[in-house]
Amino acid sequence: MPTALLESMKRELDFLRRNFWDLSLVTWIPFILLAAVAVQMSAGVMRDLPIVVVDRDGSGFARELIRRLDAASGLSVAEQAPDMQAAERAVRSRRAYAVVLVERGTAEEIQKGSTAEVVAFYNASYSTPSGAALREIGAVVQAYAAQLATTQTAVVLGPGKIRRPPLAVRTTILFNPQGSYEFQLVALVHPAILHLIFMVAITSALGRELRDGTIGSWLERWPRRDAIYAVAGKLLPYFCIFMGWAVLATGYLAGFRGWPVAGSIALILLGYATMYLAYIGAALLFVGITLTMGTALSAAGLYAGASFAFAGAIFPLESASTFARLWSALLPYSAFAKLLAEQWMMGAPATDSVRQILVMLIFLLVGAAIGLPPYIRAARRPEIWGRR
Amino acid sequence: MIRRGFIAAFRAILADRTAAILLVGSAILYSFFYPTAYSGEVPTRLPVVAVDLDRSGSSRALVAKLPALQQAELVARLSSPQEALAWIEARRASAAVIIPDGYEQNILRGGQGAVALYGNGAYLLRSSTALSGVAAAIGAAGREAGVDQAQASGAPAAPALSLIQRPLFNTREGYGSSVFPGVAFLVIHQTLLMGLALLAGTIRERQGKRRLPAGDLLGIALAFLVIGLCDVAYFTGFVFWFQDYPRAQADAITLFVAAVAFISATVAGSLALASFFRTRERPIQLWIVTSVPIFFLSGLSWPSEATPAWLVALSRLLPTTPGIHLMVGVNQMGASLEEQSGELANLALLTLLYGLIAYARFSARRVGAQETLPRNR
Repeated sequence: MPTALLESMKRELDFLRRNFWDLSLVTWIPFILLAAVAVQMSAGVMRDLPIVVVDRDGSGFARELIRRLDAASGLSVAEQAPDMQAAERAVRSRRAYAVVLVERGTAEEIQKGSTAEVVAFYNASYSTPSGAALREIGAVVQAYAAQLATTQTAVVLGPGKIRRPPLAVRTTILFNPQGSYEFQLVALVHPAILHLIFMVAITSALGRELRDGTIGSWLERWPRRDAIYAVAGKLLPYFCIFMGWAVLATGYLAGFRGWPVAGSIALILLGYATMYLAYIGAALLFVGITLTMGTALSAAGLYAGASFAFAGAIFPLESASTFARLWSALLPYSAFAKLLAEQWMMGAPATDSVRQILVMLIFLLVGAAIGLPPYIRAARRPEIWGRR
Repeated sequence: MIRRGFIAAFRAILADRTAAILLVGSAILYSFFYPTAYSGEVPTRLPVVAVDLDRSGSSRALVAKLPALQQAELVARLSSPQEALAWIEARRASAAVIIPDGYEQNILRGGQGAVALYGNGAYLLRSSTALSGVAAAIGAAGREAGVDQAQASGAPAAPALSLIQRPLFNTREGYGSSVFPGVAFLVIHQTLLMGLALLAGTIRERQGKRRLPAGDLLGIALAFLVIGLCDVAYFTGFVFWFQDYPRAQADAITLFVAAVAFISATVAGSLALASFFRTRERPIQLWIVTSVPIFFLSGLSWPSEATPAWLVALSRLLPTTPGIHLMVGVNQMGASLEEQSGELANLALLTLLYGLIAYARFSARRVGAQETLPRNR
């Protein structure tokens, strides 16, 4: 290995050993952030979401429906409110996510053999838990209706009239049969956290030399080709540490939590590696253009901090504005999120994911081509050192 | 003394380009930049492929109804389920409708024609709601098709119960309108915290540890309270209106009290944390990475009911957790202060706790002493 690379690597490791907060940023801080998300979502599915029931009917049917709602694993009837005002108050003070209203006359409708309507009001400001509660309420109502069809409607209309509706749609969720949010979210949030910390850490590492004016003593003595090795050596410890985090995060979800990898673990890790390389490209670009640590850091935060929203994995981007789609395409994380879905969940052929890897490598090439020359030149320009 | 701190804080911000950009510029930038991610607000038509294995009159009638569905867009008719799977894997379609062999036979016998709908679980969050909509729509379309075919055996009985779903508060039901009104307050929290800590770090770097009299400290806190309240006014008054998100459900006084409670806790927390920074760039470097976990911990997107109790308790130490609940509750859901009294009490306790820490940290220092230790960078 070239001496420039080895020496710079050793120099950076020494620096990390001596500086508590810089070391923290690559050690216990990522650990706490990754663990917080992993622990928070470890339940995977939402159980016992509180709902409120308003029973204006008071019949046996209504009581049975309420009993069934409370018995459903995803729901718990937190209270029975006397009227809608009280029920909405419960939702506004977040004691419940939804209100189920059983209108007066429900029992009569059922006994007549017609359809009684049950209304579910849900708090759309808290869309994830409300959506889960709503699906569960729908399932309970449907199951109860099916049972009533045999016990009640048959009595009224005669057994010959009872047929199931002519068409049933059975929905199957491919690639995530349990419909687990843990699998979906943690798999995506962990790399989102990791690439942001990685980019902030290497932007700091590169920018710090300019701020402290140490870039001269470190880089000046090397000829151009060796200077590139020196920069690579400086970033290598970060790359290795964050590959370690990638292995740990993947191992946690695939091994400890047991979410099977449908495709190739090797490709997922290769994806992590190329994603880090892509963000090295971005960091070189920002530092090379601004030549100021603070500004480059702010730009890095803006660039890598909102990836999660723009990756198109959680929110559909197809119908978003041109700007949002363009911005998404300019984020290496978007390509990584696609690769992750292909290799972890869908088990797509490797050739599909090679495309994402090539896309991410373009970021490294473009970023380094633009950012590296001015950065290396800055080693001989003391007049720009120390800018804040 | 209070006045001196108040004015000095504004002078420091105006004199420091990075701090000014962080405190003012980034809030404005984020207010336009972030909502674009959700600009596809209207639940869009899910791209769907259809595979007809039955090739009967009934199945053709059902497939013919698919392009008219409001929830789905039929992008292709394929000949085998394998082909449909390949389309889903390549993300060219989000779901596949598969009509099995024997579909018509079943309906004619008076049985149930089963149609399979396959959705992509790798994109669970974005497709689960859309899928249930498509399933319901196909069911309804198929019922008509089935009824045409099964006239002889009579129409099926109506179900005894049906469910009507009505959204409360966020009637637009978009991704953005349920996420951004929370994210906005995270942005305010993070910019105030980093801006304040950056200034504190800069002063510490240049002048060493400086003792701040209580009056000066209060003045600085008031200055940042004013900036934070301007942020809240900007987001709730302009941005939510501009983006047409649900808003202004509370009267001005309720919103003002809620905003003061949230910003006070944020400023107190920021001052306490800022007292630990010795280098200008450090707060950006260490704190910018926390945004995503802090947002999830706030419990807006992931409910506290599904979070371990000890983590919920710890998350209550962050001003954003009660703050986002309170601001979304007041501004979007029209909650009264009484209904949100728990969050208000939480914020008041945090203000007290962090205020005391900040006071203790800043008053314990020696007057005008230069830092003797080598600077830690």
